[in-house]
Amino acid sequence: MHDDNALFSEFGMDLWRKMSQDLNYNVMFSPRGIINLAHSDAQMNVFARRGNSMRLNGIDAVLLNREEVKEIIPMADFSDNVRFPIFGGLMQPSAGTARHDAVAWGYARQADSMGVDIIQNCEVTGFDVVGGKIQGVRTSRGDIKVKKIGLCVAGSTNVLAEKLNMTVPIETHLLQACVSEPVKPVLDKVVTFGAGHFYISQSDKGEMVMGGDLDGYNSYAQRGNLPTLQHVLTEGIAMMPFLSKLKMLRTWGGIMDMSMDGSPIIDKTHIEGLYLNCGWCYGGFKATPASGWTFAHTIAQDRVHKLNAGYSLNRFHTGHLLDEKGLGTKTWIS
Amino acid sequence: MLHIKCPHCGMRSQNEFSYGGDATVKRPELNKEVSDQDWDNFVYNRKSLRGKHKELWQHISGCRQWIKVERDTATHEIFKTVKASEDI
Amino acid sequence: MTQNYRLDNIGLINRDKKISFKFNGVTYFGYEGDTLASALLANGVHLIGRSFKYHRPRGFFGAGVDEPYAIVQLYRNNETEPNVKATEQELFEGLEATSVNCWPSVNFDIGAINNLLKIFLPAGFYYKTFMWPKSFWYKVYEPFIRKAAGLGVASIEHDKERYEHKYEYCDLLIAGSGPSGLASAYAAAKNGARVILAEDKPRFGGTLLTSEVNIGNQTGKEWAENIISELKEMPNVIVKNRSQVFGYYDHNMLVMSEKLSDHLPKTKKYNPKQRLWYIRAKEVLISSGSIERPLVFGNNDTPGVMLSSAAKEYLKVYGVLVGKKPLIFTNNDSGYETAIEFKKNGVDPIILDTRKEPKSEIIDEAKKLDIEIKFSYVVVAAKGYKKVKSAEVAKISDDKNELGTLENINCDCICVSGFWTPTIHLASQSGNKTTFNKDIDAFVPGLSKQNETTLGAANGTFTLEETLKSSFETGYELSKKITNNDNKTSSPTVMEKKSTTHDKFWCVPLPKGKTYKRFLDFQNDVAVSDVEIALKEGYRSIEHVKRYTTLGMATDQGKTSNLNGLQLVSNIENKIVPEVGHTTFRPPYTPVTIGAIVGREVGKHSKPTRKSPMHTWHEKNNAVFVDAGVWLRPRYYKIGEETLFEGSKREAKNVRTNVGVCDVTTLGKIDIKGPDAAELLNRVYTNAWLKLPVGKARYGVMLREDGIVMDDGTTTRISENHYHMTTTTAQAANVLSHLEYYLQLVWPELNVNVVSTTEQWAGAAIAGPKSRDLLQKLFPNIDASNEGLPFMGYLEADLFGVHARIFRISFSGELAYEVNVESDNGNFMWEKIMEVGQEFKIQPYGTEALSTLRIEMGHIAGSELDGRTIPYDNSLEGLVSKKKDFIGKRSLEREAFIAEDRQKVVGVVPIDKKTSIPEGSHLVKDAMAPTPNPKLGYISASCWSVEYDNPFSLAILKDGKNMIGQKLFAMSPLKNKTIPVEIVSSHYVDPKGERVRS
Repeated sequence: MHDDNALFSEFGMDLWRKMSQDLNYNVMFSPRGIINLAHSDAQMNVFARRGNSMRLNGIDAVLLNREEVKEIIPMADFSDNVRFPIFGGLMQPSAGTARHDAVAWGYARQADSMGVDIIQNCEVTGFDVVGGKIQGVRTSRGDIKVKKIGLCVAGSTNVLAEKLNMTVPIETHLLQACVSEPVKPVLDKVVTFGAGHFYISQSDKGEMVMGGDLDGYNSYAQRGNLPTLQHVLTEGIAMMPFLSKLKMLRTWGGIMDMSMDGSPIIDKTHIEGLYLNCGWCYGGFKATPASGWTFAHTIAQDRVHKLNAGYSLNRFHTGHLLDEKGLGTKTWIS
Repeated sequence: MLHIKCPHCGMRSQNEFSYGGDATVKRPELNKEVSDQDWDNFVYNRKSLRGKHKELWQHISGCRQWIKVERDTATHEIFKTVKASEDI
Repeated sequence: MTQNYRLDNIGLINRDKKISFKFNGVTYFGYEGDTLASALLANGVHLIGRSFKYHRPRGFFGAGVDEPYAIVQLYRNNETEPNVKATEQELFEGLEATSVNCWPSVNFDIGAINNLLKIFLPAGFYYKTFMWPKSFWYKVYEPFIRKAAGLGVASIEHDKERYEHKYEYCDLLIAGSGPSGLASAYAAAKNGARVILAEDKPRFGGTLLTSEVNIGNQTGKEWAENIISELKEMPNVIVKNRSQVFGYYDHNMLVMSEKLSDHLPKTKKYNPKQRLWYIRAKEVLISSGSIERPLVFGNNDTPGVMLSSAAKEYLKVYGVLVGKKPLIFTNNDSGYETAIEFKKNGVDPIILDTRKEPKSEIIDEAKKLDIEIKFSYVVVAAKGYKKVKSAEVAKISDDKNELGTLENINCDCICVSGFWTPTIHLASQSGNKTTFNKDIDAFVPGLSKQNETTLGAANGTFTLEETLKSSFETGYELSKKITNNDNKTSSPTVMEKKSTTHDKFWCVPLPKGKTYKRFLDFQNDVAVSDVEIALKEGYRSIEHVKRYTTLGMATDQGKTSNLNGLQLVSNIENKIVPEVGHTTFRPPYTPVTIGAIVGREVGKHSKPTRKSPMHTWHEKNNAVFVDAGVWLRPRYYKIGEETLFEGSKREAKNVRTNVGVCDVTTLGKIDIKGPDAAELLNRVYTNAWLKLPVGKARYGVMLREDGIVMDDGTTTRISENHYHMTTTTAQAANVLSHLEYYLQLVWPELNVNVVSTTEQWAGAAIAGPKSRDLLQKLFPNIDASNEGLPFMGYLEADLFGVHARIFRISFSGELAYEVNVESDNGNFMWEKIMEVGQEFKIQPYGTEALSTLRIEMGHIAGSELDGRTIPYDNSLEGLVSKKKDFIGKRSLEREAFIAEDRQKVVGVVPIDKKTSIPEGSHLVKDAMAPTPNPKLGYISASCWSVEYDNPFSLAILKDGKNMIGQKLFAMSPLKNKTIPVEIVSSHYVDPKGERVRS
């Protein structure tokens, strides 16, 4: 809803649309559209606020009523036996999905071909800071003398910040997701549930990809417990009862950089030569191209770009928060 | 699913509790001057490290007491739990 | 159709119960105790489906969870379920199933064209192409790929079945009822431990059902049956079949999926279809056995190529011959056991052994039975397209690199045995860092991280004697640790044929000039060549290989492909297998029905529903309800055919003219007692509380420590050390935890107790100019005058024999009172109010009218308190004390919070006084400006002002305090509305608050 987030996202969308060609690697960008379901008039109004904000920023958004939603996703529950009926939804038709592996590999191959050294299995173990300036970095495979460091390690930001004697407005949390066995195409949109945090889409392989809430406590374990998935899938079945007969095939868990206002940080720091890109919560993937672009600008020119000016580390101090959810500093609540 | 020893009620599953974040965060005293940096640290900045973590949980479906728990954030192993009034 | 491949005198099926079933429209017969797979094989059916990518013909490979091919669409009781494994689905009368992923039929599948194009479709092909022209990926290629993908079909009908959950605790949970599971369960149970024994299959016994062994003076099978009977009789033991432990979670919590009804044509009434068990075990014993490893050669996916242990199981358990001219291809002694079984049942097998001169008792027995054995021989390729017709074989050099002249052997099935892969999934899920055992060339569990032990084949122990010994021992030791008893059961004597070592060779080289596909992952069509391509292209870590080639990512989760894949990568990379490592094992062990994971919280039960004590009255009086969190609140009370707009307007008007009553029970209520209660309030609220007299209420705002408004409410001093706090409906639980947090952790020196009383009190708000008259009539013994009960005053009184609390507070901005009685008396109170109120033209009003009333009065509520606003934004800065410290005060000094042009709540009126402004609209200066059009604010709440009879809205507007009188535009592009508006004060009606004080 915040303009900073909206304009940043839309800049990223333009980059997404060209990515496969830019990288000469098919990232399978698929602008299939996303629908956020609303389950009350009040929620429709909240989505109207968001959608209008998007439209005034030149981004496509449509408010759909119940019948219109039913035409697009007939497999959702429009019966009487629902706890929170679907009133309608907000749709962004040009929103999409992409193959995450391909994005990583595509960028890696292209960067490599442009002369970037990509050193894998190389853990950062410390930093050399002298007189408030970056001098180098220490790793498990040796030391590197360098004047500029871009810290882009969402999930481990706090661990590395500690090595710099910094604390950041971020807590590290666990997010699970799962896929079902592959089935023939049934859903071609990304859909989110309004009376909870469930999201679903169907991959090109036919698997239903689903997720939702955080497990709710600091974790680096990359695996969660079943009650959280049960809760997530409960919302799934509440929204789309047909999921009940499908089987859950794979589950996994990741480490999230949960920032204190739900928006990321792309900024310089008090240490000269140290640049920070973190705090992505669970919305990092879609920001990939815009994040990379603005971070590159920030590092190369030693100043933030207009697009990431709002993502400052200092905004917590000044009160210029970009709070999309209104939950404050309880980062463990989804 | 985490098995937490509530000091008042005994071993209970995690779904009886609600998480409360870092237990080492100390609220500055009322009516005393606090620097901007100290206040920002209290409200926003967290260590959130990998490894042993001292944290708060509230036994909301039981005795409704806040408790302090020492748990490893990488393995989820719980080392000890104490009452709100005790140190951890 | 006769069952040509069914033997008469062998098997554990029930030949007295014949079952008819349909596959791809054709009717067949089988027996009770069959799986769909065994019944089809008995009928000579080998073609079950088509592979995922190349649409190659597929048959049966295994006999259980290891099955990669036999996926079917199941029809049962007028419902359909996709992706059912024929090797796991028990046969029931009337079962119908069809092949998946093939069209028009499994026999003639157009998709097979992919097979012809396969040189263009190696692993990862889609990353390197389908990018031009740019729009074609999404518009052309992707839809085509999506249609071709997926296996079964998901019906969008609602699932009619029920699924239940259960919680259990035990001393020992034992996963698997093969010899190690039975032995350890028995030893532990005899020593007094509470044991749960879980078996995935319908029959207990594991390999004891198919091997030729003697335990004591019984056969292995008899011994297993007797142990199970005894265990079932013991009160401290729970024995479960058709139950799979699929997940090992934190702190020894394991989850098991019990299939109660999947093997029945219809779920029995009042039974669930499946039951999910959450089991907290003190100790876990993993006796999950091992899965046979395939040998890899050309076209090894042809129907008729299957695991030799599966062939043995089909024979011994189901009485089915998987072929009448079997070729056994093996690198170890296990293949011989299958050959011996074939021979004993009248079929002549041929054995190809990769080893040169192995010697063992099993091999001797095979020789004695005159079974033809060729040593140092390999199968180079299977021949036949829809079914194995022959095998191209050759002698292989000692170094396994050179193939001799190619020969042809006629056969109708090829049973492969590449030795055994311990099933270490549960151990790995528990955090156990598995280690590579060089002797068996596979991973076994290493150091335990939780209380688990792995026994038997799952631990790489392949002799029965060793397995039983260690299992009895472990069962005893673990139970002794828990129960302190000392009843030791001794391990019986075992008679088994000794075997010799296996050959560490599993992948047959290609003969010169041949490009046969040698498959590793059978479901996802991943071949040796695909892995080679991946490595060549730089995807060298096993995680990359897996994701790039999709090896191990099919519905069988790599059970027969992971280890071979790993071995291949390490061979090519010249590393040892443990260096390459294996991908992390995560639950579930096999796919679990989503309905089972969710259980009973479906439909209307997906979230609880909270109802006020007066709910039935509301229903009877045509209330249209709205969700407020999980509460149901009346939105308006519909009279005749009136719309929401008409009804709420009528109700609101009546409140402003006569009197209305609103059910406010859902608001949070917290009872606060203690000598330091006032001090607590003073610290959590922004305004002053220390001097609030007894019998008085005060409006309060509480902040989070970051300065944002958390909640507002009215708190009343009931008596000296007793307060009654109200909160909004949405924040009730949060506020209670918030108070408890500060009292227990931050200020434990304060002597205060808090408890929720939201459900203990029923509340009714009586509002309007005639509310005083009504109140006086309801409570004749009080002085309801402005002096007797002043604004923000509090009284306790008797309501026709029922104790009541009366608060003179107002949300609507009219003269108003809130009456609270104990919940059980809620209905009584409400009906009395309605009865006595008739003379004053009382009408009940709902949340819509309530909204209208508070909006035009400029009272802020949830839509303004959205978790992002500070007191100033809501025009509450007057309540922020400058003298005392309180939660969040320090944050209010932030630069953005004290900015001159900070956002503030204002009123918005359309200039034409007619057009309603949609909520969610934004305020802009220039409606014609191009995007991005700078937004100055947003409409938070809209209503039809009953006072002025025109639309009125509240908005949060930048520089709000200086914008009164300005003309802006309210824009809702979503609704195609652009409305010229004027900014006014948010206190549209009665800005001085005279009515509440009247």
